[in-house]
Amino acid sequence: MPDDTKPRQPPEPQPRSVPPRPRVKLTIDDREVEVDAGTNLLEAARAIGVQIPHYCYHPRLSITASCRMCLVEASNSPKPVPACQMPATECLVVQTRSALVKEAQRATLEFLLLNHPVDCAVCDQAGECKLQDYYQEHDAQPSRLAGPKIQKEKRRVLGPLVTLDQERCILCTRCVRFMCEVAGEPQLGVFGRGSHEAIDTFPDKPLDSNYAGNTVDLCPVGALTNSDFRFTARAFFLTATPSVCTGCARGCSVWLDHFNGETYRYRPRENVAVNGPWMCDVGRLSYKPLVHDRALEVKIGRAGEGRTAEGREAARFAIEKLKPLAGSERLAFVASPTASVEDLLATFRLASEGLKLKRVFVSGRAADKGDRLLLREDRNPNRLGLDWVAQAFGLKVEPFERLVEEIDAERVKGVLAVGEDVPTDPKLVASLLLNLDPVIVLATNLGPVAGMGHVLLPSCPCSEDDGTFVNFEGHAQRFVAAYRTRGQSRPHWTWAATLLEELGVEVGWRSARDVFAELAPRVAQLAGFDWASAPGYLTHPRGLRTLPAAADARHGIHRERS
Amino acid sequence: MPYKVSNEKLTLREQAYLPEMIRGLGVTARHFLRNLFTRRDPAPEILDREGPCQITTVQYPEEKVEYPPGYRGLHRLVPREDGSPRCVACYMCATVCPAQCIYIEAGEYPADDPSAPNRVIERYPTKFVIDELRCIVCGFCVEACPKDAIRMDTGLHAVSSEERRAFMLEREALLRGPAVEHPSDPWRKREDSSAPEHGEKEAHRRISPRKNGG
Ligand code: SF4
Ligand code: SF4
Ligand code: FES
Repeated sequence: MPDDTKPRQPPEPQPRSVPPRPRVKLTIDDREVEVDAGTNLLEAARAIGVQIPHYCYHPRLSITASCRMCLVEASNSPKPVPACQMPATECLVVQTRSALVKEAQRATLEFLLLNHPVDCAVCDQAGECKLQDYYQEHDAQPSRLAGPKIQKEKRRVLGPLVTLDQERCILCTRCVRFMCEVAGEPQLGVFGRGSHEAIDTFPDKPLDSNYAGNTVDLCPVGALTNSDFRFTARAFFLTATPSVCTGCARGCSVWLDHFNGETYRYRPRENVAVNGPWMCDVGRLSYKPLVHDRALEVKIGRAGEGRTAEGREAARFAIEKLKPLAGSERLAFVASPTASVEDLLATFRLASEGLKLKRVFVSGRAADKGDRLLLREDRNPNRLGLDWVAQAFGLKVEPFERLVEEIDAERVKGVLAVGEDVPTDPKLVASLLLNLDPVIVLATNLGPVAGMGHVLLPSCPCSEDDGTFVNFEGHAQRFVAAYRTRGQSRPHWTWAATLLEELGVEVGWRSARDVFAELAPRVAQLAGFDWASAPGYLTHPRGLRTLPAAADARHGIHRERS
Repeated sequence: MPYKVSNEKLTLREQAYLPEMIRGLGVTARHFLRNLFTRRDPAPEILDREGPCQITTVQYPEEKVEYPPGYRGLHRLVPREDGSPRCVACYMCATVCPAQCIYIEAGEYPADDPSAPNRVIERYPTKFVIDELRCIVCGFCVEACPKDAIRMDTGLHAVSSEERRAFMLEREALLRGPAVEHPSDPWRKREDSSAPEHGEKEAHRRISPRKNGG
């Protein structure tokens, strides 16, 4: 485990670290720029804000210079050279906008589009496609192809998450290189020859890597599509909000793409300290609980016999039931490390100061297989955060098995649970809870455990409120509310505040930020963490940045997929 | 052009007034009796009407004047020849619609089902709803459609009902009218979305030199 004395704030993304090299001076478009020797011209130009169009180049992958979109004129070559492959040298003079370069770009695009099916109306990439962007910018002429276009397979299911349209592929081989170099599972290859070349998997070997989804993000065109996201929403409708993946303890930085108060997909967000620019497929699909089977109604009474109620009434009822057990060992406080730091701060305050409890039983999702790249065995995004908060409130952290033992021994009479995830079979846990009274559950999703609550207070997940997760290495990461809370669901901290008020404790929290400001100073490890300036926090005042549905609110990083 | 006013003296008959008035009444009575006892040609185009009857009224709604071409009536989703909608659920109409009255959900024809309507374009609208009460009949959706899949050529413009719900036209209600196919439609070039067999592998040899010098 890392030292958990201070949260480490992920630094801003930086180019690949290289050992110090001599600096060279060169001229790009009549402007002088100084870079490390060996930096390629594309990056050198980017340093002074000159964008050179490119497809196959990716800063994290090896360089093949196969697409030829990045051709520039350089003083050390009689012909245009690919900027992605050309190292910067002293006194080099580079032209990126000369007539020759423009003609080279136009001709390259014409060739790339020669056999392209131009089915943008069907294509998932429309709106974030580099072919569309560059065609507008550099080509803008009708096709001059006289014969029929070469037809390839339009719907090749490569694996569980990826579907390939070979006709749209421009053979940049980013996907092939990614699978070889980063994922370390060379499952893709280029097959065929000439115009019949196509990306494919090897016979009977599907693209089933846990990192296959990244090839979809890497593909600059619409060839590789995400089978899960396929055809569900148009990319130009989606708004991206910085968030954190809740799939495992790594907590990859992600963009949460949403539209009309619904999450459609996760995409990795570059964060050198945590996940680089990648994320795994398990995490990619972990947005689903944000959308499906959500608990949206306040319920009094167990599933089947319950009734819906107002939040305040349910809170009063819950406190009436909890009060007799306050301060006793017979009331178990259960918290899930899937809740954010803010939620835990507020609920732990409720448990320790409101209900005078001494222990917290940690629930959360069961561990599962991890891998060598990103995926961790611990499938909870905030375990370290929970430990820190428990320490700050002087609560003893007990494992979930202990709770099961105590219920079996009939030493526990009532349960207050924050989060409905349990590390064992939820049906089994539900049967254990059956004989307990009261069971108060703050749950984001419906299920056997949530159904056992005498009071069910619906909570909202990370898509609907601001908050912080602390990953297993101690990186505290902020996520930002994407849209309004659904139904009657409220953040855990809101319910904690309501319950505290019913106990007669006045709390003035109006947002997660207030909770953090008031309670985080107790957590020694969070002392250096600036809530508002954490990476990914777009400086916006309280509340949502409401945008018209079609507005392109995406962050700059999104548009320039490098 | 100024009129030339004739200052002719009135005849005695005209000065007597009454006979001329009776003559005028006669004209009126002649028209009245002719229109009363002859059959009216119901052709909606007035200039095309035949027969002695001279009534020019169009008995709307039993008779309707034909709309000029380009007139924007109720929407329809244009079917292909196999009856499936031409629409590929690209959301262009929903995007452009200023009244935001088009709602679409996209789906995918199953890859392995040969009876699925069209397997060259996998995408189709599982749901396509137009709220005709909100529609401002601007026709932008028709202009925006890249697939000629939505048209306003039904010639219907005054659909009536007693419930609002009846104006939420679903896919089934919208999909009607004559089928439309274009030579450029992708399903005319191949069977399904798998890679077709190429007789000649070398691409440059498949482009046959055009006859008559192009
Ligand atoms: S599928 Fe996409 S990423 Fe792979 S070679 Fe083709 S265009 Fe490049
Ligand atoms: S005619 Fe205009 S208002 Fe009506 S559906 Fe089409 S785009 Fe919308
Ligand atoms: S050749 Fe340089 S980006 Fe492809």
